[in-house]
Amino acid sequence: MIAAEQAKEITDRIAHLREKVLSTKPTVCTERARFYTEVYRDNEEQPVIIKRALALQKTLEKMTIFIDTGELIVGNQSSSHRAAPIFPEYAVDWLPEEMDELDKRPGDAFYITDEHKEELKEIANWWKGKVLWDRGRALMTQELRDLQDSAIIKATGNLTSGDAHIAVDFQKILHVGLSGYFKEIELFHKRVDHSDREGVRKDKFYSALAIGLESFQTFIRRYGDMAIYLSKESNDPQRINELQVIAENCDVIAEKPPRNFYQALQLVYFVQLILQIESNGHSVSLGRLDQYLYPFYQKDLADGKLTGEFATELLENTWIKLLSVNKIRPWSHTEFSAGGPLYQNVTIGGQTTDGKDAVNELSFLILDSVGKMRLTQPNLSVRFHKGISEEFMMASIKVIEKGFGMPSFNNDEVVIPELINLGVEREDAYNYSAIGCIEIAVPGRWGYRCTGMSFLNLMRVFLATLYDGFDSQSGKTFHKGIGNFTDFSSYDELFEAWQNQIRYYTRKTVEIDTAVDTALEEHVPDILCSAFVESCISRGKTIKEGGSKYDFISGLQVGIANLGNALAAIKKLVYEEEKIGREELLDALERNFEGKEGEKIRQLLLNFAPKYGNDDDYVDLLLKDAYMEFINELENYHTTRYNRGPIGCKYYAGTSSISANVPSGAVVPATPDGRKAFTPVAEGSSPSSGTDLLGPTAVFKSVSKLPTGKIMGGVLLNQKLSPSAIAKDGDKHKLISVLRTFFAELKGWHVQYNIVSRETLLAAKKEPEKYRDLVVRIAGYSAFFTTLSPDTQDDIIARTEHTLNF
Amino acid sequence: MIFNIQRFSTHDGDGIRTLIFYKGCPLRCQWCSNPESQSFGHSILYDRKSCKNFGDCALAAPEAISRSGKNGLEIKRDLITKPEKLRDVCASRALTLSGESKSVDELLTEIEKDLPFYRKDGGVTLSGGEPLAQGKELVLLLQRLHERRISTNMETSLHVKWEMVERSVGLVKTFLVDLKHTDPVKFRHYIKGDAGLVMENLEKLAYFGANVVVRIPVIPGFNHTEEEIQQMVDFVSIIKEIKEIHFLPYHTFGVEKYRMLGMEYMFDNTVQVEEEELLPYIQYAQSQGFTTKTGG
Repeated sequence: MIAAEQAKEITDRIAHLREKVLSTKPTVCTERARFYTEVYRDNEEQPVIIKRALALQKTLEKMTIFIDTGELIVGNQSSSHRAAPIFPEYAVDWLPEEMDELDKRPGDAFYITDEHKEELKEIANWWKGKVLWDRGRALMTQELRDLQDSAIIKATGNLTSGDAHIAVDFQKILHVGLSGYFKEIELFHKRVDHSDREGVRKDKFYSALAIGLESFQTFIRRYGDMAIYLSKESNDPQRINELQVIAENCDVIAEKPPRNFYQALQLVYFVQLILQIESNGHSVSLGRLDQYLYPFYQKDLADGKLTGEFATELLENTWIKLLSVNKIRPWSHTEFSAGGPLYQNVTIGGQTTDGKDAVNELSFLILDSVGKMRLTQPNLSVRFHKGISEEFMMASIKVIEKGFGMPSFNNDEVVIPELINLGVEREDAYNYSAIGCIEIAVPGRWGYRCTGMSFLNLMRVFLATLYDGFDSQSGKTFHKGIGNFTDFSSYDELFEAWQNQIRYYTRKTVEIDTAVDTALEEHVPDILCSAFVESCISRGKTIKEGGSKYDFISGLQVGIANLGNALAAIKKLVYEEEKIGREELLDALERNFEGKEGEKIRQLLLNFAPKYGNDDDYVDLLLKDAYMEFINELENYHTTRYNRGPIGCKYYAGTSSISANVPSGAVVPATPDGRKAFTPVAEGSSPSSGTDLLGPTAVFKSVSKLPTGKIMGGVLLNQKLSPSAIAKDGDKHKLISVLRTFFAELKGWHVQYNIVSRETLLAAKKEPEKYRDLVVRIAGYSAFFTTLSPDTQDDIIARTEHTLNF
Repeated sequence: MIFNIQRFSTHDGDGIRTLIFYKGCPLRCQWCSNPESQSFGHSILYDRKSCKNFGDCALAAPEAISRSGKNGLEIKRDLITKPEKLRDVCASRALTLSGESKSVDELLTEIEKDLPFYRKDGGVTLSGGEPLAQGKELVLLLQRLHERRISTNMETSLHVKWEMVERSVGLVKTFLVDLKHTDPVKFRHYIKGDAGLVMENLEKLAYFGANVVVRIPVIPGFNHTEEEIQQMVDFVSIIKEIKEIHFLPYHTFGVEKYRMLGMEYMFDNTVQVEEEELLPYIQYAQSQGFTTKTGG
């Protein structure tokens, strides 16, 4: 339910639409699966790109469409709100296996009718042996398959769905309109040399683009027709008028560039939608919405054709529509993306290409409207830069205060210079946007997956380091080491063993990515997504074939803080102070710290060794050195697009691993940082939970010691913030001041705030060890929440509930 | 001796500040939320919630600690002659030693860690305990901070000889002075101190040109009446140089610390002071021309 105070702020229309989508149970829609299966089956002789164009065409022409009561922005991904379409060509085996459990999932449940279950079983049957998953696995060596099965390296999401993690060139789409693309395609299609092997391929590519774009136009026109039909059915003069405007919008943008703000936003939404019907890759992002829509907004406002209120209503309607898009993932992948997010990112703020503050009126409207909606979509990012106004920062903090984790901040001061270092042109670098959650790319110029390649479980690698390469969970020695922990008489020897292991596993992540990318390129090329990314059309290539202007990608390394803490604990307590013997430590780990002696060792590891997140060079620099081994090895490799067109084709590191810390921890036995077996590892680049005891400035300092410029896949930092800490304006300014230091001076990458909720405090009362970082700060006094008396804790809990006013 | 260094403090002066908590205080406020700050020597804190019964403390100080206590350990604090030997003996940190001697250099190292966060307004706040009751190390630190142009605030009760106050004037940017009561009888009864000394020092400090903010802790059962608060505000009004008064509402967050120190909490731990209750005080102070703030 929306709080009464909030309901006042939004119109009845928006409140109704919002409630409708929020209360809709996620279901499954089989239409897309049916159409794709039919087309693949009936066109076996066609090259895959044509098959995919025809399948998209059939889907867009035949799928159920609807315009909901009161909607101003139209378009649906499937036959109803929050119904996830099925993408059988990527992977579908899992669906019959899991379909009876879908509604029983602990999180991200889906409801599916018996009739649909039967249909999907048939569909799954036809796809046996033909899907991306099978084909990708077939391309791998036995060793790589074993590594994947061991869960040391995970790439499930990469073979069970499309790529995405991309923002297309909305600026160009709005400028030239869909007809503009036809002209361009025609121009290059005509030049194809049919006597050349490449020419044959290009010819099919251009034909596919034309089919794809035409069906996109048909899709838009179907909504126009439906609006006219509904307007004739309606008796409400206001709604008739609205539907006529919708029809006119569709009529214009199916062909030509949009003429006003409303049409531009509608077209952006259609593009967003179509990309998520073509492929089920997530993190399809909208880029710098406040920049490319601003000229339309400004003009309409000047012409008196638009008010701020109406623009806000349109934006709010769009956010609701973004939430109605859905994706179903196999359970094994769901765990890594808890909460079922689509990560459709909107980026605001930052600088213009000439280095001026880019914040405009629309940036404020977007910020406020997202704040009012309090939905999980879009994922809102604010680009920080030195010259950002206090006013805009203040508005951002006020949205953060609402406690739904948005906006998060990205930082121009580190991203732009590092992009330029990588060879990105200045103007493009200034135009970057967040993709998905915290990673970044230049919209419309970049290939897929600036992050989101394979996940590497660092702590499994670390444990293998202690056992001469033996991995206890799979029972395999993937890479024979240089000895056992008990053989290492110094920290340096241990570190050498780490180097040896991590370099092997780094190479293996690239090998898995290469197999995955090869399979994606050959079996599931995207048509429309390629059309909307430079320079696919002029090169005659899909993005995966090397069509994009830039290509940099990253995998995700999970367990960053644990790695540093484990190294520091061993260095200090085993080698320097000799408080714990090597065999004693291994023994305690193998027993998961059971028994009094085991528990004592765990307490020593927890309390008597420095922890990452406390601004202590001892551990922070050990972590940096250990991570650099991975990063340096990574520099040796290229992507599958190398020498095929794009600038870059390199890897960088990344830590934006969302909820992967939970399933990643679930496959790791006890570790020398004092973490118990199979419990979560630390998230992203944040400190391990409950180990940062000196407050946010110390965390910022620790995080900034990581080699941020080499971790362009994102340095994810989540911080907890108690509501009372930012209740007053003065406190908000203090938070802004801290952020200015973190970003402008320490060159931090990102931060996102979770407002401490009542639930968090209740959990902290129950399990104090995990929440030792929760601080109660008032004048002249401070204490950790977990050390307060139960009565006082209850009192704070009661007050927190009051303050948040949910 | 120091008992805590707290970074990112936001309620003890302008900007982002690092708080240095000095150990030792001449007063004994019954509601004190940092009871470990009162003694000038080490204090032993024992949190039985996190005690794992490893027994290392009893081995280190068998004369005073036994594991026979009904609720975990039994600690006879007065029998411990060398508390230092208990530092770091407890693996789970259920038993900790509060109080550590830090050299000026060590303190500066800690303070400078947050230098980039101080920006225009922030810096250091020396607190306690009573920082002014510290020896000459305090002045050395103030001088070094002054040389480094790190803005320094001081939280003090001014319940020390004027000479002790005088040595820091000119080195401290803002004094945050606790004014607890103007009634000498109540002051003596509840705090074991001399109200006159505080009031006299406060006047002198202001006349010496120091920047002073008065902070009134609003304590139910002690001074939480309009009459008493008005008396304090009226007293401050006489001192023309003071323009700002903060009201700090009573809280009971320190209660658990008493238990951990083996001390008894003498005050009522059931009442709370809501921000709304401070409104008449704020209005009165404002009517007397003061800028006000609640909660520091």
